[in-house]
Amino acid sequence: MINRYGSIALLLFVLVIITGCGKSPSETDKNEMVLRHIMPTKVRGLDPGDMRDRYSFTIGSQIFETLYQYHFLKRPYEIVPLLAEEMPLVSDDLLTYTIKIQKGIFYQDDECFAGGKGREVQADDFVYSLKRIANIKYLSQNWSLFDDKIVGLDEFREYTKGCESEQGIDYSRAVEGLQTPDDYTLVIRLKKPWPQMVSTALADLSTAPVAREAVDFYGKDIISNPVGTGPFMLEQWRRGSYFELVRNPNFRGEAYPLEGEPGDAERGYLDDAGRIMPFADKIIWTVILESQPAWFLFLEGKVDSSGIPKDNFGEAITQNMQLTESMHQRNIHLKTFLDPSTFWVGFNMLDSVLGKNKALRLAISRSIAREKFIELFSNNRDMVAHGMVVPLMDSYNPDIRDEGYSKYAPQEAKELLKEAEKVHGGKLPVLKLAVPGTDTFARQYGQFLVRQMTNIGLEVEAQYMDWPTYLEKMNGRSLQMFTSGAHASITDAQDFLQSFYSRNWAPGANNFNYSNPEFDRLYEKAVVMLDGPERRRLYRKMEKIALDDCPAAFLNHRVAYVLHHDWYKNYKPHAFAYGLSKYRRIDLEKRQAYKDLLKKLK
Amino acid sequence: MTDTATVPSLQAQKGRSLWTDGVRRLRRHRLAMLCFLIIVLYLSLAGFTYLAEIFDWDVNVVKWSEEVGESYQRPTMKHPFGTDIFGQSVLRKTLYGAKTSITVALCASLISLAIGVPLGAVAGYFGGIIDEVVVWVYSTLSSIPYILLILAFAVVLQDKTFLGVKITGISTVYLAIGLTSWVGICRLIRGEVIKRKQGDYVLAARSYGCSAPAIIFRHLLPNVFHIVIINFSLRFVGFIHAEVILSFLGLGEADRPSWGAMINDARIELSRGVWWQMTAATIAIFFLSLALNIFGDALRDSLDPKLRTR
Repeated sequence: MINRYGSIALLLFVLVIITGCGKSPSETDKNEMVLRHIMPTKVRGLDPGDMRDRYSFTIGSQIFETLYQYHFLKRPYEIVPLLAEEMPLVSDDLLTYTIKIQKGIFYQDDECFAGGKGREVQADDFVYSLKRIANIKYLSQNWSLFDDKIVGLDEFREYTKGCESEQGIDYSRAVEGLQTPDDYTLVIRLKKPWPQMVSTALADLSTAPVAREAVDFYGKDIISNPVGTGPFMLEQWRRGSYFELVRNPNFRGEAYPLEGEPGDAERGYLDDAGRIMPFADKIIWTVILESQPAWFLFLEGKVDSSGIPKDNFGEAITQNMQLTESMHQRNIHLKTFLDPSTFWVGFNMLDSVLGKNKALRLAISRSIAREKFIELFSNNRDMVAHGMVVPLMDSYNPDIRDEGYSKYAPQEAKELLKEAEKVHGGKLPVLKLAVPGTDTFARQYGQFLVRQMTNIGLEVEAQYMDWPTYLEKMNGRSLQMFTSGAHASITDAQDFLQSFYSRNWAPGANNFNYSNPEFDRLYEKAVVMLDGPERRRLYRKMEKIALDDCPAAFLNHRVAYVLHHDWYKNYKPHAFAYGLSKYRRIDLEKRQAYKDLLKKLK
Repeated sequence: MTDTATVPSLQAQKGRSLWTDGVRRLRRHRLAMLCFLIIVLYLSLAGFTYLAEIFDWDVNVVKWSEEVGESYQRPTMKHPFGTDIFGQSVLRKTLYGAKTSITVALCASLISLAIGVPLGAVAGYFGGIIDEVVVWVYSTLSSIPYILLILAFAVVLQDKTFLGVKITGISTVYLAIGLTSWVGICRLIRGEVIKRKQGDYVLAARSYGCSAPAIIFRHLLPNVFHIVIINFSLRFVGFIHAEVILSFLGLGEADRPSWGAMINDARIELSRGVWWQMTAATIAIFFLSLALNIFGDALRDSLDPKLRTR
């Protein structure tokens, strides 16, 4: 007989055994090729129709695919077909795009399909995905990309306004500009030329085909149940902590590029030329909000690549901006490149205090010492942003630095503040600055900006919030001032300029809710033009208009310093693409040897 | 011989109150008095900081945000604890941090006493269903791990508006701590009241026709108040630690110095060899914690004869 205490002890023992069994997330087969990454923030969702931030893109792009993609190796960057058979056939008037879709593309197996087997992708899936974005009840962040572009799509959006619920929407309703003559042909008719459509929209994750069965089956939970065609599929997502993607057995296989830019072969980027991808069996992202643990995991060899936290910069990089001896000893490689990103303090132009007070916005812009900011937060890596367009783009205005939009001038800022108080009609209220993130870095970031503004006599309060809350408030247009930034996904400056077009107000790309009729006129003129000197001239003019109105105080363009271990192969930096995990390969022997190396170093 | 023998006997005849006796014993405990002095110093510093802010005095402690040197300057004679990322004096931040920590500990103590003492007294005096409800509430609360409970309260309370007042930063911290830490004192007071409610003086009060609230608040509570004082002093240090933990976890004061926030900042700075911010905050916490612990023990020994260890 087992007495009461014995029973409890036995029960506890069984519980320990049960919970102790099974593989821990980090435990994998020795010969399994696993890519290990850090995700520095929580991810909102994995529904491509409503994805706009780079963190969701990073994971979503491994699961979903688009008609076109950037060539992995070629520079200058080049668009090539992915789900499409070839580049689109464009009519002479630039209004009709005929796209042939590859046969034999299958969705991953999922219980949303009959019998659980993924079906073949058809042209109708692309039409459905676009109609879904147009559906006003869906409130997609991506609608601004298609607003007033495709014949009949705006009318479809109008129609959805009258529907009582999402379930009541008839997706079979015809849209004149989206035709499917057969299952493998998609014809898009535009209202006006849109020369950047392929790179801006058709290579953008928002247009990835989404299976209607999946949306109907999962309903609102579709954000956590992605069903795609890509090389990987979601195996496990523990909200706020862990993502695990495994190979999609239905993936057709894609050949590694056969050519790149000069020097790629010497650097080993063509070692896998022609081999069928993906190489990895699994991808793991561990959500680690703090930079320190992420850095230590990288040094321990538990993560393949890493950025360099500001407080560890001296440990990794010398004053000559080269790798330190300790990094060399660990066979760690450094890749640097100009990231097509711009960061700013944005002003909500709908805000009653900031929106009508240009002097106040200018005062804030003049109060920020960008050089100091870059010294403290990026160890002098970044470049001062004088405008929104990044230097690697053709339309970047090299004279913009002399025009002084990002000039630190505290005295001038104080004068402007006096003017701002006159415009406001008295003492200015306490301004609120929203900062995404609640960690030490975010707090220091916020504190720096607050200090700069209070130095000229403003009262500012920083509000720290997690990423989903921040996005929700931003999309609801309720933030007064916010630290934010944009990362271009195409080589065209339109990606930045669209953030100032009035039809793109939040939840679109224009988080400033900025509006200037002249800017809009030029934007509408420029977006239908083919690339050339005239369009570049218009882009620069638009940039100047926006800078004069000061809807944001531009801070910095990021220069990326990325470290990766020796075993992490085919790591060629790409400024625009996200779906790059399929190219990566792990040298398992080298990864194993690193453990021995660590022991020696210790 | 006769004189010295008769003086104590005379005093005994006059009778010494619990408080007089307690203070007399406490004053004989030199280490406790030294600790008391340290506590007074900390309290004075916090009070002085409040006054300096209210009256806009030009003193260094409130000018913690002033840039006094280069970023991450090592400790020097001029800046004994060096500077932080923004070139702010770490010493000034540490001194200012006393205000944050003591405010939190004081407010949280008062909130927890305001909830725990009356609830414990009422439950102990009335018994029955009232007692059962109170015991059920505090048993449920105490079954939840303390830090998790504080965190949950802090997250829920943060940025909420209550009676037109927005709960942010430091107020979130002391409300979260105060609302979750009344169980201990409630349990103690309940037990004491149950023990004393049959006492002669309570029966006398009842026979004079005193109402229940009058008996509880005018007769019972003053007789158990020494327990409140002891508990207050011993928990004060716990509340300071809770503030440090909450600030460390990013739920405390975001833009003003607090010891928890300093330790949080210093955590990532240690890898670049910046140890002085961590050291300064730790020293400040160490002395206050030690002083409060020793003084609390001495107070308990002096006021509660049954628990005396000396």
